[in-house]
Amino acid sequence: MSSRRPRSWQPSSASRITDEQINDLVSKLQAVLPEARIRRSDRVSAAKVLQETCNYIRSLHREVDDLSERLSELLASTESSSAQAAIIRSLLM
Amino acid sequence: MQATKSFERAFLKHLLRGFRLSAVSYKSMSLQERKSAIKLSADVAMASARGSRKWTRGLITKLSKEDDHRSFLRLILGTEYERLTKPCHGSWKIPRSKKIVRRSLRVCSRRKNNLRAPHGVKSSVLARTLVEKRTHALKRLVPGGESLDGYSLLDEALDYVISLRAQVDLMQKLLTTFEASKLSALSKCTLPERKASFVGEAGIHQQKLTEKAQLRPKLTL
Repeated sequence: MSSRRPRSWQPSSASRITDEQINDLVSKLQAVLPEARIRRSDRVSAAKVLQETCNYIRSLHREVDDLSERLSELLASTESSSAQAAIIRSLLM
Repeated sequence: MQATKSFERAFLKHLLRGFRLSAVSYKSMSLQERKSAIKLSADVAMASARGSRKWTRGLITKLSKEDDHRSFLRLILGTEYERLTKPCHGSWKIPRSKKIVRRSLRVCSRRKNNLRAPHGVKSSVLARTLVEKRTHALKRLVPGGESLDGYSLLDEALDYVISLRAQVDLMQKLLTTFEASKLSALSKCTLPERKASFVGEAGIHQQKLTEKAQLRPKLTL
């Protein structure tokens, strides 16, 4: 199993990270990815998890971009800032 | 795994403060300018709410590379700004020319392939190369990821994904709430009709008002 991990994955400091710790992280990462419920039963390869993570991050970036645009359209036409303040307070409670 | 409640609260607070500081509600801004200001506020709010992590430092450093962002960052982060942009001594690395490293990796992998599998590529070598490739891609996506080793990169990526997800969810909630408040503000002029529909009497705008009324529960003023 350790032959599959590139040497660059070991930290430069003296403490060696065990394969178990790496596998633990990979499974945690797999769990936060979308469709995690479907795939959690079978072990997915690290390369697949890395690829899915990259894709997921890219899609989240796109979502933030889209939401920023929609918020920008909405805030352009909002009149009173006191209404906004009331909304904010309600969200924070 | 999820972001904590305190993160959510801190994020919203910083986000809205950022909106006020960059005056996103002023009509003088163009749509694109407002969008960039909102995005900047969202990223700063996310990094600030999370605290000190490799990716938050990387993000703030990346954002402060643009001159017009720096004054905003200093304003919203205050003393935190200096602390977050200070170079982290723990992961000090000798700066290496990327071209030389890439060339040496290619030579090394070619040598390895020639020694090991003269008659075709072994699956384990292929798997390792694939992981390396994907790791490089992830390094570019996670802010501050370039200087991290594999394990730290995974750790930071996990944290980053959780925070990004929370950022998206909260911005969506904010958007929905703003939209709902807009609609209720518009319907204020038909308040007597709305009252009538609540009591149960038939109204001309019955359907439109009940639609708006369905959105009201989101506002817990």
